[in-house]
Parts: sequence; structure tokens; C-alpha cells
Amino acid sequence: MINDFNYLRPGTLKEALAMYEEHDDCKVICGGQSLLIVMRQGMIAPENLLDIKRIKELDYIKFDKKEGLRIGATTTHRSIEKSDVVKKNYPVLVSMENKLASIQVRNWGTIGGNIAHADPAGDPAPVLIALKANIKVGSAKGDRTMPLEDFFVDYFETVLTKGELVLEIQVPPPEPKTGAAYQKFNLLESDMGVVAAAASVTLDGNGKCKDARIVLGNAGATPRRVKRAEELLVGKALKESLFAEAGKIASEDCEPVADIHASEEHRRHLLGVLTKRMLKQAWEQAKA
Amino acid sequence: MNKYTVINPHSEFKVINTHVHNIDGIAKVTGRATYTFDVKLPNMLYGKILRSPHPHAKILKIDYSRAMELPGVMGVVTGKEDTLGIKQGIWRRYQDLCDEQVLPVDKVRYIGEPVAAVAAITEEIAEKALDYIDVEYEVLPAVYEPLDAIKKEAPEIHEGFERNINVTRHIEWGDVEAAFEEADYIREDWFKCGGQAHMCMETRAAVSSYTPDGKLTIYHSNQSPYYMQGLMAGVLGMREGDIRVISTYVGGGFGGKFELDGAIFCSAVLSRKLFRPVKIVFTREEDFIATKRRTPMFYYVRTGVKKDGTFCAREAKVFTNGGAYTGMGATALYLTGFFHSFPYRWKAYRYDGYRVYTNTLPSTSMRGFGAPQAMFCSEQQIEWIAADLGLDPIDMRRKNSHHEGYEVPGQATIASCGIDQCYDEIRKWINSKGKLPANRAIGISACGFMSGGIFNWFDTPYSFSSAVVTINQDGTVELYVGAQEIGQGSNTTLAIICAETLGVKIEDIKVHSGDTDHCPPDLGAWGSRQTLMAGNAVKMAAEDAKKQLLEFAYAQSGYNIVYDLDIKDRWVHAIARPERGYDYGELVKKAIRGKDGQKIVGRGYYTPHRKGMISPAYSYMLQGVEVEVDEETGKIKLVDSMTAHDCGQPINHLGLIGQLEGAFSMAAGYGYLEYMPYEDGKLMNPNLVDYKMIRATEMPPANIAEIDTYEPEGPYGAKEAGEGLTNPTAAAIGNALFHRFGIQMKECPIRPEMILNALKEKKEKEKEKKGKK
Amino acid sequence: MEKILLQLNVNGQGYELYINPKTLLVEAIRDHIGLTGTKRGCDTVSCGACTVMIDGMSVKSCSVLAAQAEGTRITTIEGLEDNGKLAPIQKAFIDHGAYQCGFCAPGMIMSAQALLNENPDPTEWEIREGIEGNICRCTGYNSIVRAINATAKGKYTEDRS
Repeated sequence: MINDFNYLRPGTLKEALAMYEEHDDCKVICGGQSLLIVMRQGMIAPENLLDIKRIKELDYIKFDKKEGLRIGATTTHRSIEKSDVVKKNYPVLVSMENKLASIQVRNWGTIGGNIAHADPAGDPAPVLIALKANIKVGSAKGDRTMPLEDFFVDYFETVLTKGELVLEIQVPPPEPKTGAAYQKFNLLESDMGVVAAAASVTLDGNGKCKDARIVLGNAGATPRRVKRAEELLVGKALKESLFAEAGKIASEDCEPVADIHASEEHRRHLLGVLTKRMLKQAWEQAKA
Repeated sequence: MNKYTVINPHSEFKVINTHVHNIDGIAKVTGRATYTFDVKLPNMLYGKILRSPHPHAKILKIDYSRAMELPGVMGVVTGKEDTLGIKQGIWRRYQDLCDEQVLPVDKVRYIGEPVAAVAAITEEIAEKALDYIDVEYEVLPAVYEPLDAIKKEAPEIHEGFERNINVTRHIEWGDVEAAFEEADYIREDWFKCGGQAHMCMETRAAVSSYTPDGKLTIYHSNQSPYYMQGLMAGVLGMREGDIRVISTYVGGGFGGKFELDGAIFCSAVLSRKLFRPVKIVFTREEDFIATKRRTPMFYYVRTGVKKDGTFCAREAKVFTNGGAYTGMGATALYLTGFFHSFPYRWKAYRYDGYRVYTNTLPSTSMRGFGAPQAMFCSEQQIEWIAADLGLDPIDMRRKNSHHEGYEVPGQATIASCGIDQCYDEIRKWINSKGKLPANRAIGISACGFMSGGIFNWFDTPYSFSSAVVTINQDGTVELYVGAQEIGQGSNTTLAIICAETLGVKIEDIKVHSGDTDHCPPDLGAWGSRQTLMAGNAVKMAAEDAKKQLLEFAYAQSGYNIVYDLDIKDRWVHAIARPERGYDYGELVKKAIRGKDGQKIVGRGYYTPHRKGMISPAYSYMLQGVEVEVDEETGKIKLVDSMTAHDCGQPINHLGLIGQLEGAFSMAAGYGYLEYMPYEDGKLMNPNLVDYKMIRATEMPPANIAEIDTYEPEGPYGAKEAGEGLTNPTAAAIGNALFHRFGIQMKECPIRPEMILNALKEKKEKEKEKKGKK
Repeated sequence: MEKILLQLNVNGQGYELYINPKTLLVEAIRDHIGLTGTKRGCDTVSCGACTVMIDGMSVKSCSVLAAQAEGTRITTIEGLEDNGKLAPIQKAFIDHGAYQCGFCAPGMIMSAQALLNENPDPTEWEIREGIEGNICRCTGYNSIVRAINATAKGKYTEDRS
């Protein structure tokens, strides 16, 4: 049973920030696809619930060749999945969204809610971090923007302070000769990942690796980059043996936790395999 | 998307095996169907059950005074204060197997077992009140695995059951030792088969209403209102006639809904105490942790064959995890041993089964009733033996298979058997595939299944069904059956049999089922019994009614020739001169006028006397599954499948396809997804996030070749179709892995990590071999 | 906790509810408005039995607060039928035997209808993805896929006869 709460329903962002500032023990709900489950389990029982689902100001997808992509926090997963500009410029985001839970969840769940929930198995964060995304958060006192990878602190914990909302996800414009890929390992198509890996690869004029990012999902408390493996690749002419080596590093530089779905050892193994595969996929796209 | 073909089709029927829509279709696709979950009675209270957090503990004291102070709480019941403490079980004729008090009086034996129940004006208050019931326990040592529980030093779960052995079963024929002597090759393996949740979409639910006249009405989601009525009368000390059980629409059963559950028992006890209707609906978590499950089994199999593939002898020993209570587990223990011999002719066979109590969720019947476990072990070992001997696995199976007229010594006589053609169909399908991609392989598995258990441990020596047909003045027909519709389509199948027999249209039939006040007694939906048993009862009732109609027809017809009359498609006619006749409605009107306005009433029943130990008839099938495996991750994907299936004469065309496809999806889940891990007696995934089931995206095509045989014991030659197909798939998946990688999967569900471990082990062994050379 | 006054539009009909704000949409629909066609099969937004359409999109009504649905058009299984005439998708489910126990059918049909709303000619895979949020324990899904496919192909017309 969900505990009783005081329901706050602002109409505008300004109102929302003011209400959030004003109320202690306040939790924010947007799509609520994860939140209502944990509330039903009694794991979260806030006194106040601030509903920002209807704040239309934050429901947008904007793209600009210079600025890149900006997605408002209350934009649904399904809007991102179906967006033509996203499809054209960041196809990896579309394929990631397409595999995120079920259509019903994507129809109502939002990108801001997903990120703020900070489930280490969440799909968007690893991909967005691989794409070097920033996150803009704000309170009644003002906004701040930071790299998304700095946003996560621990299991279900973020840097958000009292009164602060996720406002926007910003993805830099796609670089030329860049590819990005994401895959999770799961038993059912609609499942969260047992583990997941995202990779992006940018090549220079000579076909060597100019830049690479590897981000693991559900491999510890937060989405984590495998910098040691990234460094291995940068500056090199890429080949499959390097991806295998990067995969091996990924399987070492992670802290997955065993549960009934997979042992720690199996997870490490899978992270290695997925890293290797995603790097190869990203590389092939970058070459094309 | 799916191919469905019929081999040897018959077509003399007007209704049978035609495209008849399920008769409850409109109700179900429009939201009108009212399940127990939807029932709301005036003045109704909501109940919740307090459950044991301990796997094994004495209940020392229950203090619910604080709960009673909560506004809105109307009452609390406990085993000690509010029940007769009767130990009950579905094996009612065997006292020592009646071992479960639904609300235990002094001891709990698994985590989740009911301890007390509370009724309040809202569900929320009832749930809150659970926190205010104080229970003092004395925690006892617990044991969770059968091989631990049979040890001498293991804690005693039920008094007087030495080494926690609940039931043993023995099946034997032939001279086993001598037959093994004849074998050129003997192989032995140990297997571990997992449990499985029934996972009915409608969780266990009941609404009980006890009234001051001493009558109890219960709406309940179950597979056998008849059993519920009997069991409830027993535990409440009431007369069966004073209890009415209504189960109109039931959201799934699969073998899990014909024993007393906490919902029906606690709601009734609360209602009797408070004289108000009480509704209890299990949450999904309660449904996982506190109902029952498919029986986990440890299987030892030893098989001896000749070089040419002739089967000589088989010996099997099985230890099953019975969990805390017997339930239907004793039957599953016998059937797994019996079907482990299927569908082959063993010169000698010996089976010893031990059902062992543990401090876990009780295990019971579930679709397949012990056979999926049996086939997982048998059909894989047979595949390995064929490989060991360098024989074709289909030819080897075929050579040893049952055939018409075969007698399973002392157990059964096979009157119809289409398995020979099944082999042809699957061979054809495999050949049509050509060369498979490197990451794919096909596995096959054969099996057979019963078409109605002959046994009844409840009241009579044999299983039985009954039906009543009444014909209204306008020719419409009321069909009363005790058979229970749980989604398998029995109401439609029985309506089809009734319409065909009477010679009327399907829309003339109205089926009454799921109500003990108005329907004749019948053991209900289990053991694949309804098509054959209830079907025969309906056929007999319809023939009885038809005969009465035709008596009038004969009496009034002026034919001056030798003739036989019949009704087909509402047309009363002489068989020899079908064009000469008249409308059925006219005949009914006259007949009823002749009977002074009394309805035509036909009665029918069926009971399988002298039909062996198990079942009057057996279905047969062979399945092929094309499996794709990711060698690096161990992930399995089912790509395609083909089942050749002999269910005798198909009756309900749409229903048959649905049953075969549905059973396959459940069987596939058992094979590689549906996993029930316990830690210290606690189920680790009691929710639909962590308990994985086949979804639309995982389901491959389920192609079917229906081998149309004629079963003399079945109505119009029909046999079961709903349950047998749960049996072969886990083994077929295992066999595909064997053919692709040479690995032997001895545990199910087959999970990715197990596949990788097996691959690793195989590589290491190969390395060792090379090193030795 | 303060109760809230809500206006919900369900199947074209306005309802005024005065309820606890924690009330889920499925509870509002079933327990307060009394439309019990919509079912519940889990507590983890997994099974899809509670699927309804919000502004034509499929949503699991157990994952939404009733208050969040204010101002939208909610359609439940009862709203597909038009004065006794079934919608094509409902006819297709009957004709293909795309349900057995029927408990998942209302949610399944709403997912199917929402899919066809936005994608009138889906591929088989798109159909499967469209219903992957709905569990059916009985049918094995293929008959459901066939029913949706046949509806998309226009086999069951709007004439609603």
C-alpha cells in the first residue's frame, strides 16, 4: 500500500520549483513508472509528492547543428524513440529507447524521471554518457549544468540537492566519423539489463581512434566509464584484438553485484563480451 | 507465422472440428466477464492474511488486541481460536496425507504460510492491521532440500514421518536385472528439475458470504467447485449442501487451483465469524510465495539398450521436494514415474519415487503433472544414448515406441496411438530446414500423456463426470456440467459435443458450469480429463435427450419403410432419405406438448471402470525446437518449432490450437526461463520483474501437425490436448544444445550461466585429453 | 493528507471523484467508477492486465496516479464497444481464439488497439513489441499476433455489424 501523501500539482516550472523549495520530505513524480512501484512496496514514503508530469515547458526535443540535442526532463521515452531528429542524428538513442521496457512504460515514463531515479541498470544513462551528454538541473535559486557522468553518486542517489529538479539533457552535436552502440544482456526483450555496455568511437582522418568512450550499465552503483580501456584505444589503429583487450579491462574495472540472475563472475564476463561487441559496432559505424 | 496441418482429416461432422468461436468470447473481449477478482457484494469486508516470516516455527501466542483497536478492523481469526484444526488435503480418503491446516494451529512449516487473517472495511485498513498482530514464535531448525531432509539428523517437519519421507511410490514390471543383463550398453545420469509457478493471471481470490441461516456462498477462482465444496464442508464442519461454490470466470488454473488456498479458507472463516461477506485477493507476491508450485525433482536414471537401439531396461529413482504439505504431490510422484517410461516399450522397468517434506512452499500438480520433469531427463538421456551408439535418434525412438494395442504391463492399454506418424512429420520438418546457421540447432523430444486420470482420492474409487441436458420448448438447449471452464475452452468443447450429438447448432446451446447449486457433480478440471470424461458424459446426456425426441418423431411419422431417424443441423429426417424431413423446432414443440409441458431432460455420466491404473486413453506427440544460442553469453532464443500431435479426433479447432500453443509457451518457460531460487527457505523472485516468462517477443512460431487418430474410449474419438504438450520442450531445448555444442544439460531451467559453465568444462576436458595424448 | 477533487474523462463520460491523491488510475477506474473490465495482475508494472489508453496511447493504469490522468481522454475495454457493436480488434480476438482464461484480454486488446492507432500496418515483430508489456499465461501469444495482424489487414471492418 502506498502511504498517504500530500499531493502538489504545480502548473508551471516556476511554481514547481517554488513548491519544491518550500516543502520538506518531498519526492518528485513525473512518469512514476519506477517510483510508484517502490512507493507501493513502502520503500519510499514521502510526506509530499510533487507531480511535474504536466509541466509542458519541460516537454521538448530540440536539435541544432551547433548546439546539439536538448531534451526536456518531462519528455517521454516514446517521444524520443519516435523523434525524427533523434533518429537521424543519434540513432543509438532510438534503438536504446526501443528496448527500454514496454511501450506502455515508454508512453508514460520520462527521460528526466529515469535519470533522476538513478537505477544503475537504467538504459539511457550509459548511452548518454557515451555521447558525452550534460545534464541541467535547477532550483528556485538557479540552474547548473554538469557532465551526466558526474550526476550519479550511488545506487539510486544523485547530486541533486533539496529543491533541485532535473531540467534538461544536453547531447553535443554528433561528430563526424563517429559511431555509437549500446546493448544490454537480458533474458526477455523488455527486461532491464543484467548488465549493459555503451560505446562510442570517433576516428581521425587517418582512420585511427581519435576518441572513445565505454560506459557500463549495472556494473556497480552508478553507470561507469572504463577509462583504462578508453585510453588503450585512443590514438591506435583499431582492430578486433584491441576490442577484446578493452573488453577484458571492462570485465576487471567494474563492481557488479551477484543476484539470482547472474553471479558476479558471469556479469564480469558479460560486460567484457558486450564491451568488445559494442566497440566493434561503434567502430564499424564510424568507418562507414 | 504458424502452420497448422491435419493429417488424415475426417469431415463428416457438422460442428465438431469446425471454426467454432469460444462461446464466452463476447464476455471476455468486452470486459463483461466477471471474475472472482471483480465480485463485490453489499456490506462486503476485505480480508488480508498475516504470513509466517519463518520457514519452521512453533506459534506460541497470537495477540491481535492492538489490531482490533484500529478503526475499521472488524475481526481477526486464528487457527487456534476460530477453526476446528482439521488437517485437510485433496487426498481425502487417505488420512495420513491430509496434513495441512490452512490456518495452522500451532506450527508453521514454510515462509508465507498463513498465521492469522483480518477483515476490515477497506483492503488498506486490513493490510495495515497485519502490522498490529503480535505473534510469538519459537523458531525451529529448518531444512530446504530433499536430499538434506532425508538425512537422519534433519529436523522433523511432520510428526511420525521418518526422515521426512511423505510418500513413496513404486512401479515395476518385467525382470529388471535380467533385462539389464541383456543390454549391450548402460548409461546412468543424475538430473535436477526445477519448480515452476502456475502464475495464473488472476491471483487466488475468494469472496465468502456466511448467512445466519447457516449457509455459505463462496465465489472462488478454482478448477473444481465440487472439490472446494467438499473440502470446505470438511474443514468447517458443515454439510456440503449448505455450501455453494460459484466459479464462473476463472483467470487461469494450470493445476494450481484445485486445493484449498488461504483466500477461500480465511475468507470463509472470517465471514462465519462476522456474518458479512469477506473478500480476499492475493497479491502477486502472495500468489508466488503461498500457493503451491510444480514439484522440483532429483532424478536418477539408468537405462540399458542393445547395440541396435532396442530398449531393454530402465530404472529410475526420484527424490522430490515436496515442500511443507502433500497437496497433489502424491499423484505427481506416481505420474512422473509412469510417464518416465513413455512413450516406449521397456521390457523391464522399475521406478522408486520418494516425496520428501521440506520447509519450503508445498509442491503439487502443475500442467504436465510430473511428466515435464520425467521427459526432461528421459528424452535427453535417450538422445545421448543414440549419440553414444551412433544411431539415428528418431529411428531409435520409433523402433521402441508404443503402438496401438500395446499394453504397458500392469498399467495401461494403448487403444490409439499416432506417434509413428509424428516421427514422419518431424523428420519432414527437420529436412525442410536444410543446413542451419552455425549458431542454431534443432532438438527433439517425444512424449505421451494421459487423457483423464482414472483415479480419485476424494470420495469414489474412480474419477467421474456428469452432465444434464434439458431442451426448452423453443429448441434451445441448457447444458449443465460440473466440468470447470478455466480458459482451456471446456465449455465450448462440451457445447460442440452437445450440439453435434443432438443435431443442433452451437448457438442453440447454453452451458451452465461453475456453480455447485446448479451443476451436476464432477471432479473438475485436472489431469486432462474434461474432453474425454465430461465429453462422454455430455454425449450420453445429449443422446438420452435426443432419444426422447426421436421417440416422438418415430411415433408420429407415417413412414411405411424400414428407417432410422436422425437430427442433423436442426433437420429431423430419415437417414436413408435425408431430403425428407422437418424442422427440429417443430419436433421439440410437439414432444414437449406431449409431455404435458415438461422439458426434455437427458442425463449422462462417465466413469472409467477397468481402464488400467492411469487413464482410459493416451495422447502422443513429438516436438522439434530450433534454438539459437549465443556462445559467448549463453543466451538462448527459440527460433522455430514444430509439434506433431495425436489427440485423437480434434473437437474444438480453435481451442485445440490455443491449447497446443499455450502449453508450448509454458513448457519453453520451464525449459529456460522460469526459475524459482530459494535462499534459507525464502523465494528470491516472488514478482514478475524477476520471475521470467515467455512474452510475445520470445515466442517462436508453434507449427502443428495434428495426427487425426480415433480413440475408441473418447467422445467421437477425442483425447486430451491441453496438458501433454507441456512435457517435451525442456528436453528438446537441452537436446538442441547437445547437438550444437556437445554439452549435456542436467538441470532445468537451462540458464545462460549453466551453458557457459558447461562449455568451459567441455573445453577443459578436451584440453586434458589432448594433454594426456 | 487532503483528498482531491478530480474530473476524469473515461470512455467519453465525465466523472467527478473526491479521492485520496494516492489512488492509482486502475483503482479509480475499477473501484470508484466501477468499470471492472480493466484487470490487475501484479504490483510491479509488469503484466499489462491494467492497460488502458490515455489519449489513444497504451498506458498501464497501475503505474499512473488517477490525478495524473485528469485532463486526458481515458479509454478502457468498455469504451471500445459502440452501443453493442464490437470494435474490429474485439471481433478479431474472438475469431482467432486470441484469449483463453480472458483475464489478460482487456489489457491485451487495449495494447493492440493503441498499436494499431499509431501504426496501422505493423510488421509481425512490431506487433510482438506492441504487446510485449502484456503477459498472457494461456495462449502463447501467437493467436493474439494473428488477430492483430488480421485486423491491420482490414479483415474486420468498422461497419460493426
